[in-house]
Amino acid sequence: MRHLRVFCLLMVLSFTAGAMAQGSGSAGTAKPSTPQAQTSPQPAPTISKVIDRQISIIEKEFVSAAEAMPEDKYNFTPAGLNLQGSDYKGVRTFAEEVRHVATANYMFWGAITGDQMLPGTNGPNGPDNIKTKAEILKYLKDSFAIGHKAAGMLNSENIVSTVKIPMSPNPVSKLFVSTFAVAHGFDHYGQMVEYLRMNGIVPPASQGQ
Amino acid sequence: MKDPGMLRIAILFSFAITAVAQSPRNAAPSGPGSPFSVAIDAEITKIETQFVAVAEAMPEDKFNFSPENLNVQGTELKGVRTFAAQVRHVAADNFAIWAPMTGKPEPEGIKAPNGPEEMKSRQEILKFLRDSFAYSHKAVLGLTSENALELVEFRGSKVTRISLAFLALTHVNDHYGQMVVYLRMCGVVPPGSRPRPR
Repeated sequence: MRHLRVFCLLMVLSFTAGAMAQGSGSAGTAKPSTPQAQTSPQPAPTISKVIDRQISIIEKEFVSAAEAMPEDKYNFTPAGLNLQGSDYKGVRTFAEEVRHVATANYMFWGAITGDQMLPGTNGPNGPDNIKTKAEILKYLKDSFAIGHKAAGMLNSENIVSTVKIPMSPNPVSKLFVSTFAVAHGFDHYGQMVEYLRMNGIVPPASQGQ
Repeated sequence: MKDPGMLRIAILFSFAITAVAQSPRNAAPSGPGSPFSVAIDAEITKIETQFVAVAEAMPEDKFNFSPENLNVQGTELKGVRTFAAQVRHVAADNFAIWAPMTGKPEPEGIKAPNGPEEMKSRQEILKFLRDSFAYSHKAVLGLTSENALELVEFRGSKVTRISLAFLALTHVNDHYGQMVVYLRMCGVVPPGSRPRPR
């Protein structure tokens, strides 16, 4: 479907890594744009920066997709299309997909930062009083802000230390939490791009391809 | 867990994390492999289990299904990948993304990003997929806390090893999300969403 997704992600990754490569003496691909850049070594990559970049990647794609759905279709579910032979009974609405990922972000990243879930969170889709598109988007963006806060707290030493998360009886490493949080966002992003296309909307990341 | 709200969240979250988290290999930074490779390997296992199950759940006569062919009014599904192409693409990119971790060239015949076009049968494509995850498990063994931030070359650019691990995992999850929607279009409830035996 999206032939260029890996390419786009690579561009983001390579931008960072290329800049970092200049600082580390390796043969980077990014060319300095100013004389100052040629003489100012870039900071070396750190765990904190790498994870922060990964959060930025999913945040950009996910928020763009969430914003792309018109407000009057925010409670769309494929079940409403009544496609012959399909089975969409009980699936999340578009709004619930967004709320779910925001709730998961709060839970995963909060395990690292100590931030609490919002009051009224009694299930995987977050507080029931978050209903409008504007409210849901704010909830989503706030959840990614906690992700960035968590990334700022991570380093090469503490990334392998463990934390408790609600659905696991055993502690898990902060690296596991970090990869899970970002990957989980992409799982639901993949579903949401199909929801968008079902409504005649090309996902922002695929526009122009 | 004393907070009943959090208990409900734990129960209701439909993640396949519990089995993974219960694995002793993921519980603490010890055991075989470095803490880095152990954590990432657990993630590979999680998405491998889900993704292979979804790929296997599509009947052979629908393996080339594309939502475009439903011709539903008001949709924008022109040119999207077929189900088979999604699986082949993920398998090919598993090989391509993990290859730099091995220090060896990408295996021959992978033809990333879309895989070999001549590979058409469900059986062949599923084998290609399983082989790609086996390759991923081997490649991640080379990831350590010492080299996680080292730069490796991937498609002409330099990226950190840990960034590539993120890319590999997020890429599979993205397509997994698309494929569960395809499955439901064909009347198949994704295995991960079916009632679990008690």
